Amino acid sequence: MSNYIATIGVEVHVELKTKTKIFSNSKNGYGQMANSLTNVIDLGYPGTLPTLNEEVLNLAIKAATVLNCKIRPEIHFDRKNYFYPDNPKNYQITQFATPIGYDGYVEIEVDGEKKKVYIEEMHIEEDTCKSTHRGVKTLLDFNRAGVPLIEIVTKPCMTNSKEAKAYLEKLKELLFYSDISDCKMEEGSMRADANVSIRKKESDPFGTKAEIKNIGSISNVGVSIEKEIERQAKIYDKGETFKPQTRRYDDKLGDTVLMRVKETGNDYRYFPEPDIPFVIVTDERIKNVKKTIPMLPDERREKYLSLGVSEINTTKLIQNRNLSDYFNHLLEEKISHQTASNLLLGDISAYLNKTEKDITDTTLSKERFIELVNLVSNSTLTSKNLKEILEIILESKDSIQSIMKSQGIENITDDKEIREVIQKIISENPESVEDYKNGHDRAIKYLMGQVMKETKGKANPKMANDILKEELQ
Amino acid sequence: MKYLDKTITEIHELLKSKKIKPIDLVEEAYENIEKSDLNAYITLNKEEAIKKAKELENVEVDDNLLFGLPIAVKDNICTKGLLTTCASHMLDNFLPIYNATVVDKINAANMIIIGKTNMDEFAMGSSSRTSYFGAPHNPWNTDKISGGSSGGSASTIAARDVLFALGSDTGGSIRQPASYTGIVGMKPTYGRVSRYGLIAFASSLDQIGPMTKNVYENALLLNVISGHDKMDLTSIKEQDEDYTRLIGKNIKGMKIAIPNFFVSDIVDNEIINKIKKTAKTLEKMGAKVDYIDMKYLNHAVTLYQIIAMGEASSNLARFDGIRYGHSKENPKDIRDLYFGTRAEGFGKEVKRRIMVGSYLLSGKNAREYFYKALSIRDDMKQEFTNVFKKYDYIIGPTTTTTAYLLTDPMDDPRKSFMDDVLVIPVNMAGLPGLNMPIGFDKDHMPIGMQIIANSCEEAKIYQLASALEKELNLDLNPWGGKKDE
Repeated sequence: MSNYIATIGVEVHVELKTKTKIFSNSKNGYGQMANSLTNVIDLGYPGTLPTLNEEVLNLAIKAATVLNCKIRPEIHFDRKNYFYPDNPKNYQITQFATPIGYDGYVEIEVDGEKKKVYIEEMHIEEDTCKSTHRGVKTLLDFNRAGVPLIEIVTKPCMTNSKEAKAYLEKLKELLFYSDISDCKMEEGSMRADANVSIRKKESDPFGTKAEIKNIGSISNVGVSIEKEIERQAKIYDKGETFKPQTRRYDDKLGDTVLMRVKETGNDYRYFPEPDIPFVIVTDERIKNVKKTIPMLPDERREKYLSLGVSEINTTKLIQNRNLSDYFNHLLEEKISHQTASNLLLGDISAYLNKTEKDITDTTLSKERFIELVNLVSNSTLTSKNLKEILEIILESKDSIQSIMKSQGIENITDDKEIREVIQKIISENPESVEDYKNGHDRAIKYLMGQVMKETKGKANPKMANDILKEELQ
Repeated sequence: MKYLDKTITEIHELLKSKKIKPIDLVEEAYENIEKSDLNAYITLNKEEAIKKAKELENVEVDDNLLFGLPIAVKDNICTKGLLTTCASHMLDNFLPIYNATVVDKINAANMIIIGKTNMDEFAMGSSSRTSYFGAPHNPWNTDKISGGSSGGSASTIAARDVLFALGSDTGGSIRQPASYTGIVGMKPTYGRVSRYGLIAFASSLDQIGPMTKNVYENALLLNVISGHDKMDLTSIKEQDEDYTRLIGKNIKGMKIAIPNFFVSDIVDNEIINKIKKTAKTLEKMGAKVDYIDMKYLNHAVTLYQIIAMGEASSNLARFDGIRYGHSKENPKDIRDLYFGTRAEGFGKEVKRRIMVGSYLLSGKNAREYFYKALSIRDDMKQEFTNVFKKYDYIIGPTTTTTAYLLTDPMDDPRKSFMDDVLVIPVNMAGLPGLNMPIGFDKDHMPIGMQIIANSCEEAKIYQLASALEKELNLDLNPWGGKKDE
């Protein structure tokens, strides 16, 4: 199968995180009692008309912006006509002729190489209702009917499953970070279809296309593309052909399964939606929406690395949007950002997970966190001591130093006092001193241990270390 | 004594001075409806109307002239808790749980809904004979049609059953029956009256409007039902205005155009002569009348068929038997439910229009027909705009003939559109248009004239219409006093 070139395009449906539905004022929510978030408009009752949720338009403009799309200055909606029980009006209001965004791209990195995945177009539409099949019966839950969606269609520009997965990861990150969608594939707020065809040479025309619908996770997108390439290659290897078709990924089989063969092109009888006038997307509006876009992952990554945060901490921070947002407030501060990231991802994360709290639910103000970072950086607060008082730090508003004091954690920071102890230890341990001078680094650790023992752990470790080295000269 | 034969101001004074109560008007309306016996109604709202009338006894009569007055509502306008059938088997059990915006407005004005009027099924037709419930009759000759699709509303107004009715006009469905029955019917500017709760036929053309026996009452009812509605995105954001404000002003110096197409050989001679005579009258009243050529008018019916049927095929897709309305019993599967429900629920004309509409939007036909029609429609609008740069009004006959027999054949589907050939251009251009009676033919059937003005110039239309109404001073009571004998 390696002697084929695959061509892959991906279509993604993303539910927008709005308060209400796109064409009515019903709530947009997930996991509620069936049919509790519906009204006569969502149910397609006769005589009802759509209104247009302005929030949807703003989120679509935002999405178009983060996907580097051009934005169409005048848009309208179209009706896509087809009969299906999950389609309350038996037409779906979508955008056919004037998708709001077009000609965009997303930058991905696969095996260390950067590549652009080109976006053909991005349009706004309404979601259908959810049907559940129970034996011979089908149950309909209209809570999802009218939930706003954007559909993002790439050009057929990917050649393997890794690129498709990287694209989806990147898309998810971008849309999640800009508050456009939850992007939870398991809840259906992000759904992917993959179009796959293969051919022998670049100069050959594209091969017959198979569309794999509604794949439930990013890793399954990868598996289904690989399986589909394999399946098509086997057919061609035998000298056979196949018809354009729609398939689905079966999780249990770990393979794609035929849904239907596309005999003729679908006839959706599109025409402009007469109930919604054309919408002018002004530059002013685009400008205002752009202001609401927070710092995106790529920029964060670059910033963090330039501030000396390790690669691994950078990745971890970006995976945790809340911590990353918190961390962003500290970018201009003159602190050790690596230490700050260690604290956030280590003890503080452990506390947050245990208490199921958000960093913003704690008492850790920016000022107190900076104090904490500095105390840890200069070793005034040891990690052992930090563990003892972390809960108090995160639940009270006192300064870190006063907490240390009240909890009896006191460092001996008096140069003279430490020096006296060190001189005593040196005189009591001549062998170790000798070892040190012979180049045994381990000896200094032993001596430090003795110093800490003598001071009951209260000596400022950094200071003690420096003085010890000085005295050993 | 019939109170509903009095003028609106007289009735209002009687109500205000407590000489009569709303219940007297309601009872009289039901007596009238029964006596007229025109099959003008699909559903009567007797119990609720009486209840509402009694409630109004405890409400102080304000300056609203329409207070306590009965009104008939076309049966494609949703009324909460009152059957709304669209004259179709598909919805003959449909009880809306919401009011159309116009119904809320009527209620807020303390008017009393007397019943739901008969019409063509889903407003598709021009004689109300496609109604699942049989056609309404014309009070001027009960063997004749009252026009359509708002035939029931026209019929009940012409018969003097009630003073007020609502109709809807997609391709002439208010003005054409108004013409056949000798009443005043206004199709307002597209967007003047909210379409929320009007069961859609062709969304880009549908418009609700008032039907009354005279011009002043018509303007009063438009005052009640018009206004911006945030539930309808096509509703226009104009300031509320008093549509009666120009009534009584003279029409000296007004420039009126009569398109030659409107007096061409597609129109009966008797009607052409009446229009020409009326034009002379208008000139005597100080207006200037020109006969002009207008492009595109002859294409209006074709454009209308394409756009209206295309939109209708989509609008009526929702009637699938799943959530409301008629549903096939014990369907084998979803396909059987769709096919069975729609085969049983829709009548012949509705099915024909859905099929033609689907065809027109299908595959490459969409470009060849539908999108082309949309673009020519823009040209047509422009043509009207150009005429209104030079003229205040366009007038002409409303219909090519007077009302014909209920028994006339229905087998030519184009005939029904040709009945509307003169009224359709107004819908295509989204303009306001009004029918008013200007006389009778040799069989004493009413002849109507339509007055068209530029967008949002309803008040100006009423100005001309009321001046002419006064000048003509026609006797428009079809019963000629015989009914009470």
